Parts: sequence; structure tokens; C-alpha cells
Amino acid sequence: MKDKAAPSEPAVTPRKVDGMIDPVSLMRIKSMELRAKVVVEGFWKGIHRSPYHGFSVEFTEYRQYTHGDDPRYIDWRLFARSDRLYIKKFEDETNLRCHLLVDHSRSMGYGSGDYTKSQYAGTLAATLAYFLSTQGDAVGLATFDDQIRQHMAPRNRPGYLHRLMLALETIPSGKTTDLGPPLQHIAEMLTKRGLIVLISDLLTSIDRLESDLGYLCAGGHDVVVFHVLDPAELSFDFESPALFRDIETGRDMYIDPSAARASYKDMLNKHLAIARSTCRTLGIDYHLFATDRSFDLALLDFLHDRMHRRKRIRRAGGSRVRSTV
Amino acid sequence: MSFLFPLFLAGVAAVGVPIVLHLVRRHTRHRVTFSSLMFLRTTLPRFTSRSRLENLPLLILRCTMLCLLALAFSRPFFSRPDAARDVRPGTRMVVLIDTSASMRRAGMWSKAVNEARSVLEDVRATDRVCIMSFDQNARTLIGFEQWQLLEPTRRVPAAIKQLSELSPGWAGTVLGQALVNAAEAIQDDEVNEQQHRTGLRQIVLVSDLQQGSRLETLRTYEWPEGTELVVKPIIAEGTTNATLQLLRNRDDLAAADSQARSPVRITNSPDATSEQFTLRWADRTEANDAGELTDVYVAPGRSVVVRVPNRADESAGRELILTGDDHDFDNRLYLAPHLKQQINIVYIGSESPDDPREMPYYVQRCFGASQALNPKIIFHPADSVLADADIATAHFVIVADVLERKLVGALRQYLQSGRTALLVMKSPQSAATVAALTGIDNLQSEEAEIDGYAMLDRIEFNHPLLAPFAEPRFGDFTNIHFWKYRSVDMTQLPDARVLASFDSNEPALFEQPVGTGSLLVLASSWHPSDSQLALSSKFVPLLYSILEYGGVLVGHRSQHFVGDSIPIPRSPMPALSLPNGSQPADLKIRKPDDSVISPDASQQSFAEADQPGIYTIESSAGNRLFAVNLPVAECRTSPMSVEDLEGLGVSLGQSSSVPAELVKQASRRSSFVDLESEQKLWRWALVALLAVALIETWLAGWLIRPQPVAGR
Repeated sequence: MKDKAAPSEPAVTPRKVDGMIDPVSLMRIKSMELRAKVVVEGFWKGIHRSPYHGFSVEFTEYRQYTHGDDPRYIDWRLFARSDRLYIKKFEDETNLRCHLLVDHSRSMGYGSGDYTKSQYAGTLAATLAYFLSTQGDAVGLATFDDQIRQHMAPRNRPGYLHRLMLALETIPSGKTTDLGPPLQHIAEMLTKRGLIVLISDLLTSIDRLESDLGYLCAGGHDVVVFHVLDPAELSFDFESPALFRDIETGRDMYIDPSAARASYKDMLNKHLAIARSTCRTLGIDYHLFATDRSFDLALLDFLHDRMHRRKRIRRAGGSRVRSTV
Repeated sequence: MSFLFPLFLAGVAAVGVPIVLHLVRRHTRHRVTFSSLMFLRTTLPRFTSRSRLENLPLLILRCTMLCLLALAFSRPFFSRPDAARDVRPGTRMVVLIDTSASMRRAGMWSKAVNEARSVLEDVRATDRVCIMSFDQNARTLIGFEQWQLLEPTRRVPAAIKQLSELSPGWAGTVLGQALVNAAEAIQDDEVNEQQHRTGLRQIVLVSDLQQGSRLETLRTYEWPEGTELVVKPIIAEGTTNATLQLLRNRDDLAAADSQARSPVRITNSPDATSEQFTLRWADRTEANDAGELTDVYVAPGRSVVVRVPNRADESAGRELILTGDDHDFDNRLYLAPHLKQQINIVYIGSESPDDPREMPYYVQRCFGASQALNPKIIFHPADSVLADADIATAHFVIVADVLERKLVGALRQYLQSGRTALLVMKSPQSAATVAALTGIDNLQSEEAEIDGYAMLDRIEFNHPLLAPFAEPRFGDFTNIHFWKYRSVDMTQLPDARVLASFDSNEPALFEQPVGTGSLLVLASSWHPSDSQLALSSKFVPLLYSILEYGGVLVGHRSQHFVGDSIPIPRSPMPALSLPNGSQPADLKIRKPDDSVISPDASQQSFAEADQPGIYTIESSAGNRLFAVNLPVAECRTSPMSVEDLEGLGVSLGQSSSVPAELVKQASRRSSFVDLESEQKLWRWALVALLAVALIETWLAGWLIRPQPVAGR
């Protein structure tokens, strides 16, 4: 759907709180692409004050030549200076292939404020896509509920980002959340290793989360999980008793929030803890985002984790993957 | 404001229900859509007690609805001042007084008059009253219109004056018809006088309610709704009542015994206390009957038949008197003297009446003397001259032979005067006599050829002559065999009507009108060589049926009841009945009280038999007596149950045994019902209820209109 506001002329200038973009203001921008652009450009402006600079330094390594090495990789300049044969070892020059997996189940349609979790997740995915696209990385998209509903392979072509933005703007019409089949399907489709960003509320049975995410990790992919929840889901701050209806199943339940709040929070925290520990076990970066959290911070947290991940890999012996992030 | 059903006002207490629901209720009004209920467990409904009412306008409206509903059910009305209460609708009342014979019992009539008087004295100025008396028929003494035309102050005295002039008669009690007449009189008055505001509709019955009352009219009558019957029973002082009833002697035509005894049934009432009675003649002081006394023992509720010997002196009527019971109004039985009818039968034929092989023998046996008939058979040869006196006094002529020309003229004149003759065709030559009598030139006839025997077929049972055989058990003529008969050419007798045919389709018996009389022709005979007719069981009934068809046998029942319509005989003396059926010009009927009634010449019946006794029909030809007695049912004087009337659909109202206070209360309640039905305030309460319900619906919808909740 074409937006009324042109991307270069935002209808609303997002309000900044403590230097961060207010998500409520941002979500008033109709165009998904414009939203992503606002976030990323704002991010670059603010990055100068960021304590995390120097992350883009390329890494190279020399190793003494041994018999059998390819003589094409001998650094002849160093040989001229030191009269010793060294092999110049490079990181993988291939660009990053990023897959954005966005949950379009019915539960993502919930939102206590002016926008839903789905809209927030879409904006987050668009921000990441825009950011990565500006770095020259290939970005693909897959939406799912209990199966893959829409799939766009990672590409880095002119106009492909725009198509991807339009796909993210579609209103979710899925059913219940089930991570198993879609993640298994994605793992089978991706033959090359890359970055997989899963954006979901994870409101499904947590028992199979480890096996579901394990499909992706087994393929050698870097996996990042953005766990998106509404603030009302986190705090359950309803006041009056009401008949609560499950948005996915349609089941009605009489709930007195004051009586059920403690139990709810307890069970939710257990759920979050299990999700976090599962991701840690699998080496997956896990980020819990409330939908009122600024996208700047979300992007910053993401990059921060990526940088720490690079350091961890270096300490572990070097990775062949060279990423711009 | 008053209420017809004030108990329904207790429904106002239901107002507390919405208040309690407002104070203690479950808050499930809000609905919240949530992403997932996987972390939630249902909580028990929480009831909150609030000291503060919410949605007060809504509560008020709902309470108002309940109040209005209770108000509508309690049927409110505005009562009027007491002064105006007298103007309430009056009662349409029919006072029905029994004047049957049973009211002649000692003290009964004075009690009835007093009862009726007390009823009339309670009548108000707004009431419309009709006074009727009844026995066998109902008579209006003062109608509704007549009552209304009278001055209000003069109405009751005029009615009481009418009552004082009334006295019980001798007729039976037809209570059912009287009640129907009274109910219809009220309905007619309502139709005719619609201006009169209708209150109660009441029939006040003053009667002894004897069991002999006839109620069959009520069985087919739908009692009008809202019409009450108030019974004022008149109780007799003594309960023993024995009655006399003359039983009919079935063999009047058979027995000729001058010493026959008349059977008299004596019936005792079921509630009798006495069982011993005495039967005697009223004129026992005369020398010839001084010692005739009979003691009869009849148990209560039973009856005994006593045969009373006929008296030697039959010219005067007699009176039997029963003594020994409490009531003597039905203790007299009047007996008319037996009268024998003289019948002259002329048999024209040359056979000997003493030879059993000839036809006159059977005719003589057929017409023997009996209690009712005194037949005289004149056997006359066909070839001699018939005396004019014989033919003039003959009631019936049987022609069994071929007549000489000189006899034909006399017989033809006899037939033309309206009488009947039977011609038996012993031979084909008799056809010439038939032709001469009917006035045609010639009639073809010949002996029929029969193979074996012939039987009667195609019998016209709808003809009066053969109607007595119409019943299947009497209509079998197949056992009468005819060996000879004569076939007659009926085309020459176009006016003849065939009454019976043989199985060969030849006529067996046909009727040919001659003048005003009729000639019956039998194509065979009862001669033993011709047929078995004389020996069959049909022969005697057939000849008597011919006599009756010819108007000879006059059914003269000498026993009648009060109120009956008694046929006036053509002649007081049966032996001298006139052939053309006209009455003598100087006919008079003398009643037992010596009053004389002269019926018109065209009058066929006498309806003024209003008292028991011996009536005398007087004329220049002689006198004839007949007895009129009380109807048998009227003598059953034991009182019936009032519930019997209720069982026939009659709506029974308040009786005199109900306390006056209760009657007053019922009257007041009736007036309240009338007021409420006039005002119909409950309708307005319902209208208001609907209006409030609409407002409440709108307000409730407005209050719970969709509002943003915590969920989306």
C-alpha cells in the first residue's frame, strides 16, 4: 500500500526523549521505509557520542609460511622488509546475508497503546533492513505464524529494499504462533550461512523453543532473537475485572487482574527466563523489547551485542566471516 | 383508589431485586481482548458490596416498571362515594312461581306466596323484575316492560296483588321449559332495553322441586352465562304420598269378558313413613257399592297393581279414592265407562258362514266381539236385493262374488260416499264387477298360470293399509302361498295403485278410488283352495288394517291427563260416527265443575282439560264420557336435589341459606368488578410500563455504549 506521505517529507517529526526517538511519535509515520530511515540516520548522528566506536576495524593476520601453502598469499612486501616469508590471512570477504523472520501470528496484533506489537516488530525489522542495506549487505524477509506465509530471499539490489518494506507493511492475518515448522523450513531453505534475526513475542509453548532454534544454529547461522512484548503484557496493569478473550483462540476467561497479576507475572518471568537461558545455551543473542522502547536503543543494543560477539569469536580463534557490523 | 386484587401489590416488594442486583453484582461488563491467556488462570467471580448506588436513574426506572406491573395486576379503580353506590346497575330478576298440582299440598301454597313476597320486598328501585308462574306452561304475570311502567312505589304492591290472585292448578310441572323461558325473557329484555345498566341476572325459583318435574328441555339448552338461579325451596310437611294410576288394558280388542277388571297401580313415595292405604269408590254410600273397600300395603318407593272390578252400571263415570297418605291432591282416580264400538260389516257372497272350507267362516272368526268392538256381520247373497238401511249403516263391505247389476248401483253409491269396500276376485268374472264399480266399460282378466305357487312381492309398506307390517319382523309374507290368482289388465285402470304384487309382477292387491271412497281389489282370495292367506298370521291384522284405513276404527282413548290436547271425536257415540267426519253442530263439552265449552266446528282438539274429573261430550246424538286425571309424574312429590339442576348446566346463585353479610359482600365485590371493568385503569398502567421500559432501554443502551477500555 502506497503511503500518503513521501519518504523525504515526513508528516510527523519524531519527538526525541533524552536524545532517543520516541516510538509513539515514530509510529505515526505511515511509511515503513521512512520510519527506518529516520531511525538509522538518527542513529548515525548519535553514534558520535557512542562509547562503542572502532568496531568496524578490519582484521588481518600473518602466519609464517610453511611448505604447502599457496604462494599467491605470500606478502612480498613484508618479505622485502624482513626477508621472511609470511602468509597474509584475510577474513571472508563475502557480504552478510541477513534473514529477518517476523512473527505475523494473531497475538502480534495486540497492542495496549496506539500501535501493535506487529507494527513495532515490522518497524524494527525495517530499521535493521535499512541499516544493513546501507552497509551493502543482502537482506531477506520471511513472515510466519504456524508456517511460512511470505518469503523474500536475501538480495542487495536497488528497489529490493522498497519491496521488502512494502511486505513488512502488510497487516498480519496469521493464526497461532508455532515456531517449529517455520524455523525448520527456513533452516532447510538457507544453504549459505548468514545472520538470522527472529522477531517474535514467543507466546507459544516454551518447551520446544530449544529444538526449534536449534534448527537454525545447526546450520551455522548467527541467530539473534528480538523478543517483543507489549508493556501491558509485561506489567499486566489492568485495573477492573473483565472477561478476557484470547486473541488467538477466542477463549473467554473471567479475570480479576488484582488477583491474577502476581500469578501472571510469575509465570511470565519463568517464561522469559527459560527463553533467555535457552538462547544463551545455543549461543543466540537474545533481546527483550517492550514496544515502548526506542528503536535507537534497540539498534544500539543489537550492534553492541554484535561487537561483543566479534570479540568473543576473535578470542576463540577467529572467524571466517567478515561482517560490516 | 381501590384495588380489585390488592394481593398483587405485594409484587412491589420485588423492587428490592434490582436494588440488590445493583449493590451486589458481578463486574463482567467489560470485555478485554488480550494476546494470550497462557499465563492466566481464571479467578472466582468477585461480588462486591457497595454502599453507594450506581446508575440511579436506571434503578429508579426499573423499580418503576415493577411497581407499574404490580399496579396493573392489582386492577386499580377509583371508588365512588357511597351515595353514588346506590345508582349502580340494578338486577334483572325473574320470579318464577310453581303453580303445579303438587303445590296444592297442605300449606305449600301459602309458603310459596310468602317466599315470593319476601323476595319482592327486597327488590330495589333500580331492579327490573318479571313475575312468571309455571306448571305445564309458563305464563307471564308481570313483564319487564309492565314492571318498568309502574310507579316505583307501586311495583311491589302490584306484584303482591298478582300473587294473591294466583292459585295452584292441576297441571304437571315442566320446570325445564319454564327456566328456559325465564332465561330467554331476561335475554330478550337485555336486547330490547339496552339503556338499562346491567347488573346481576337472576331467576328466583319458588317451587317444591318435586322429582316429577320435567327437565329435558334443559339438556339441549345452553344456560346463558351470568344468569344465576336462586332456588327458594318449599318444603312439604308430610312426606308420605301415595298415588293412583290407571294402567292400559292391552287386550281391549281381544277379550269380551264383561267382568274384566281395570288394573290400577298404587305407588308410594320413597320417603314415605306410612305403608297402609285404603282404596274405595267415591260413591260408596250408594247401596250397590257400599261394601267395596280394599286395603293396600305398599312399601316406600314401591308400587302395587290392584285390579278393580268393573261395575255393572257402566253409564256413569266413577271415582276411586285412596286414603292413608299425607297429601290428598293426587288421591282420586277418575274412570270413564267402557264404550263398545258398533261395527256393521256386510259380506256379499253365497257361501255358508259355517263351512270352514268357505271364506265367510274366517271373516266371522276374525270379527269376534271384544271390549272395544261390537261387530255385526250381515251375510248377504249376491243375487238378492240389499236393503237401503243395511247399506246406509254398513261400515265395511266385503264383496266375494259377482254382483248383480242392481247391487252395483247401491254399492257404487256406498263407495262414492267415502267409504271402503274389499272385492275378492274368486274368479275372472269378478272383473266385470270391478269394471262396473269403477265405471269403465270392460276389464280384462283371466286365470293366471302358476308353476307351483305364487308369493307376494313388492309390498307398499308406506301405504297406510300396509304400514303396520312395515317392521321387518312383521313384513315377511313369503310363507303365504297362492295357488290360484287372477291376472288383471291394469292398463285399463290408470288411477289404480298397486299395493302388493305377486312374484310374477301381476297385481295382487290394488286400490281403485271411486268417488271419495276406495275399492280394494284382491286378485286372489283366502279360500283354502286359492291360498294360505286365511290361515296365516297376516289375515286378521290385514282385515283390521283395512277397517282402520276405512276410518271405521276410531281410536277413542277414554283416559286423558290434565293439560293434554284431547282430540274431539267425530261423534260422541262411536256407533253413530258420521261418514264424512264432520261434527254435530250442537256439540258441547261439560267439565267436571259443570262449566260448558262449545268448541268450534273446525276445532279438532280440546285443550281446556285443566282439572281432573269426568268430562261429558254432549250432543243431540247422545252423551259420551271421558276421564281426565293428574299427570303421573306430578304425583312424584319427593324433592329433587338442587345439584340436579347444576348438572344440567344451570348456574346456581346464592340461596336463602347464605348469610346476608356474605351476600352483601358479594354484592359489593360485584359492584367493584363493574367499576373496574368500566375504568380499566390497568391498561393505562401497562401503557406507562411500556413507556418506562422504552426509556429504560434507551438509557441502559446509552450508559453501556462502547467506551475505550484498557485493552484495544
